[in-house]
Amino acid sequence: MAAFEYRQAQEIRDALARHGVRYLFIGRAGAILLGFPDTTQDADLFVERSPDNCRELVTALRELGFALTNDQAGEVERGKDFVQLKNGPFDLDLVFAPDGIEQFEDAWRRRVEVEGFPVCHIDDIIASKAAANRVKDRESLPRLRSFREYWMQTRPQDH
Amino acid sequence: MKSEDETAIPQEWLEEFEAAARRPLEVRFRYAFIRTYKPVLDDAPYRAFDTMEDYRRWCEENLPDWLGYGRV
Repeated sequence: MAAFEYRQAQEIRDALARHGVRYLFIGRAGAILLGFPDTTQDADLFVERSPDNCRELVTALRELGFALTNDQAGEVERGKDFVQLKNGPFDLDLVFAPDGIEQFEDAWRRRVEVEGFPVCHIDDIIASKAAANRVKDRESLPRLRSFREYWMQTRPQDH
Repeated sequence: MKSEDETAIPQEWLEEFEAAARRPLEVRFRYAFIRTYKPVLDDAPYRAFDTMEDYRRWCEENLPDWLGYGRV
């Protein structure tokens, strides 16, 4: 499979918007959208876990080309905490309960829009990585925290 | 309150942040998203975990340490 492309991110954004899905880019992909210069392989989406939202998400994912069986669709609709999809045009991780964030609504209120992409606030991205406490997160956190300082100083004030 | 030293951004990182800020989002994407094979993780088309704790434990028990998914 080829690397995730900007065009595919646009396809996610547009398909999920068409179906009114509430979600946020989170993790390293979210930080990259905010301007953090780093590398990653896939996109992580923090999705609101409500029956209607998850049902619309499944419809949107199928439109995007993810080959979900009915059982898999049922699991996404029930909002399992973490779903890893490698059965579509690109890799996608669905996170319904990220470490370090209490509720979707809290993150939604703090979200940042970048060219129409809904993105977790940098503080939420850092909080989830700090709470996950993985080796790879520990390695990237000092640079990410420095980026936060830079981003807070330079971002447009209407964010 | 943080001291100036605590919030100071290392010069090398600052230059990287500034360079990234000058690039259009599409270009940032091209530089950021790469594709390399991750053993085990990439070997199944679909996985779902009831809890994040289940997922973290599965990563620790099944993925090579060098991928960095283990908890500190």
